[in-house]
Amino acid sequence: MNPTKILRVAAREFASTALTKGFLIGALVVPALIFAMIPLIGILVNQAKPPTEQGEVIVIDRTGSVGGLFADRISPEAIAERRMELTEELAENIPDLSAVPGAADAQESMNAALQQALGEVPKISVDQRAADADVEAIKEQVRTTLTDGVARDDPDRLLGALVIAENAVMRGDGDEDFGGFELFVRPKLDDRTVGEIRSAARWAILEARFSANNEDREELNRLTRVNAADTQEITETGTREASFELGILLPGAFMILLMMGVFTGGQYLLTTTIEEKSSRVVEILLSACSAMELMTGKILGQMAVGLLLTGVYSSVGIAALATFALTDLIDPMALVYMAIFFILSYAMFGSLMAAIGSAVNELREAQSLMGPVMLLTMIPYMLFLPISRDPSATYSVVLSYIPPISPFVMMLRVTSSEPPATWEVLLSIAVSGAGALFCLWFAAKVFRVGLLMFGKPPNFATLVKWVRMA
Amino acid sequence: MEWFQSNPEDTNRGDQPGPARLNSVPKPKGVSLTEAISMTSVRKTFGKKVAVEGLDLTVNRGALLGLIGPNGAGKTTSIRMIMSILFPDSGELSVLGKNSAIESKDRIGYLPEERGVYKKMKVGAFLRHMAALKGVPSDGAATKINEWLLKVDLPDVAKKKCEELSKGMQQKVQFIAAVLHEPELLILDEPFSGLDPVNMRLLRDLIREQHERGTTVIFSTHVMAQAQDICDRIVMIHQGHKVLDDTISDIRSRHETRVIEFEPLDPSGLESLSIDGVTGTRQGERAWEADIGDGIEPARALASLASAVPVNRAELRRPTLEDVFIGIVTGDGASEEELRAAVRAGAVVTEEEE
Repeated sequence: MNPTKILRVAAREFASTALTKGFLIGALVVPALIFAMIPLIGILVNQAKPPTEQGEVIVIDRTGSVGGLFADRISPEAIAERRMELTEELAENIPDLSAVPGAADAQESMNAALQQALGEVPKISVDQRAADADVEAIKEQVRTTLTDGVARDDPDRLLGALVIAENAVMRGDGDEDFGGFELFVRPKLDDRTVGEIRSAARWAILEARFSANNEDREELNRLTRVNAADTQEITETGTREASFELGILLPGAFMILLMMGVFTGGQYLLTTTIEEKSSRVVEILLSACSAMELMTGKILGQMAVGLLLTGVYSSVGIAALATFALTDLIDPMALVYMAIFFILSYAMFGSLMAAIGSAVNELREAQSLMGPVMLLTMIPYMLFLPISRDPSATYSVVLSYIPPISPFVMMLRVTSSEPPATWEVLLSIAVSGAGALFCLWFAAKVFRVGLLMFGKPPNFATLVKWVRMA
Repeated sequence: MEWFQSNPEDTNRGDQPGPARLNSVPKPKGVSLTEAISMTSVRKTFGKKVAVEGLDLTVNRGALLGLIGPNGAGKTTSIRMIMSILFPDSGELSVLGKNSAIESKDRIGYLPEERGVYKKMKVGAFLRHMAALKGVPSDGAATKINEWLLKVDLPDVAKKKCEELSKGMQQKVQFIAAVLHEPELLILDEPFSGLDPVNMRLLRDLIREQHERGTTVIFSTHVMAQAQDICDRIVMIHQGHKVLDDTISDIRSRHETRVIEFEPLDPSGLESLSIDGVTGTRQGERAWEADIGDGIEPARALASLASAVPVNRAELRRPTLEDVFIGIVTGDGASEEELRAAVRAGAVVTEEEE
């Protein structure tokens, strides 16, 4: 084979795919825009004004000791005070980021996010009714206001009714447990307002219970609270907060990056091969180079496209990890293995795509031949969680030696919490290499015959016949 | 049958290049008067279908050879085997002294029957790509491309996308791609299909120019008149077999005509007229035709016709390649009329296919 011709074909293949507006927009600009949109979406969400809830809650306190506590607890001043305490508490627990550029902005942004999550302080007044008031009558009273069209910020708007059970503070004779409360609210009330009412009711009942039993609430809180620091991982240079979610997601991210590069390049290879065949330019090309040179050049050109994509997305991922000082989660050898497994998996799937592209006359006809190939790729995709959690299970080990999915499964294992021994990785590389050679051999045979075959699209049996014929 | 007006100055279209012209046009490197192509007992099948059977063919360097036969005869398969795009099941083949054209693709120019271009690519870029694949140095390629585009009357298309060109224009671009690297062997498969008469003439002149510079030219067509006009040596293929391999002049001399062409002064009643030595008369495409009876000397029949019918002109018809082909394959069971119609339509009806 003539390397100059192969490189020439590869260069054209790469340029005709990667240096087009469609590719730049579809494969690079759109993802970049999505990345750019993420903070924008955050800004838009933060700027959205939360609904202001105002109104009145009717309280029927059958104990006689909870209503007043509830009224104090739900007052706007008390809510605002509690929120202030929460913000201060968070600020104390967040690490000092003053040395990090932009950290001050991040702090402000986080406070804004907190305020957004909590919503504006609801202005709720309490209307205490008699302990024996009829609940059904109160409900009916609320019901009659539903169609009044009262504005959300009208202080006379009836929000609902809170009914404190008779045994909420003191157990009745023979009762094993305390009673609680019932809350009836108008439809579509803001969930944060409902949360405040429920929380205040719970707090007031507990406070009443503690008082009734002469218990010091603060002391009880201290007795029941255990301060446990976040789990730390001991690294070679120190310690860091353990991120078990990342441990599970990282192998999946590696595999998806690998798949994305392989299948994007493979898809382009399929498309350009079909185009060359259907536009009949292929025979002119075959007058200048052999079928093997043409196929090799095309595979290399689209492999470069896949590598470019994988490289771009990997760089973005690594940059994101670097932002959170998590780059040590990535073993540099994993990147080396990723490059090797990319080449091997691309050689297998790319050559199959080239073979299919050469055998059919249009993209539609390729679907039936693509089906089994795509089905194979679904296996590591579907098993990514079980393999990540148990990378040494028999099925994980076996699948990492079965081409053409071996590179994907081994990539999952290599980046998992329990990486395989080096010899296992090397064995998988060897097996995948053999698979790649077989696929290239098969594709070369099909490619040579298929390129000049027109008419009825072939099935797999026909492809095998072509391999024997070539 | 004249397909288009021949150049009266062009008298040398034989196996050997004309010395006078070769002196004025630079020869490609390595040209010698040895074989450019040699095929021995070549056989090619596609499943049960035998495409080419026992093909022996020798083409000397500098030859201009016409490969003719109806559609499906095996011409394109033979050419693809010469180009190493297909490989024979058995037999021996050598191209420009190598066992495979793959080893000498940079010395071969090929215009396939199924031709195309990269539609979205600009013409200049496409030709530069083809030139690079053929080993033309990039610094000289641009100049050559511009010269060729001027030569084929496409001076302003280099920056246009291929899809913006008409089919005829694309065909000229494809021809440039085939000759840009100054090949020693030029193979053209049905080069005139789809061209208008003006561009047919342009392409014919370009083919002759290539031949005159010493390039071996093989030219395939199912329109036999085209081969008859351009080539001196003809190889005829029918149902995968070579049925004829000779020069035009030898073919004509060996295939005696049995038809008289004449223009009567008064054609009325001619069809029922009995003429000594003539078995029948009919209105042909260009003139009236009279069939000479078996065992009758053509000269005697001609004299008899001239004395029986007042004529402006009467002559023995020169056999065309089509006549020769019909004569060769009539043994296959099809009638002459069926064969003649089929040959003109680009296909042949045989007993086997029926």
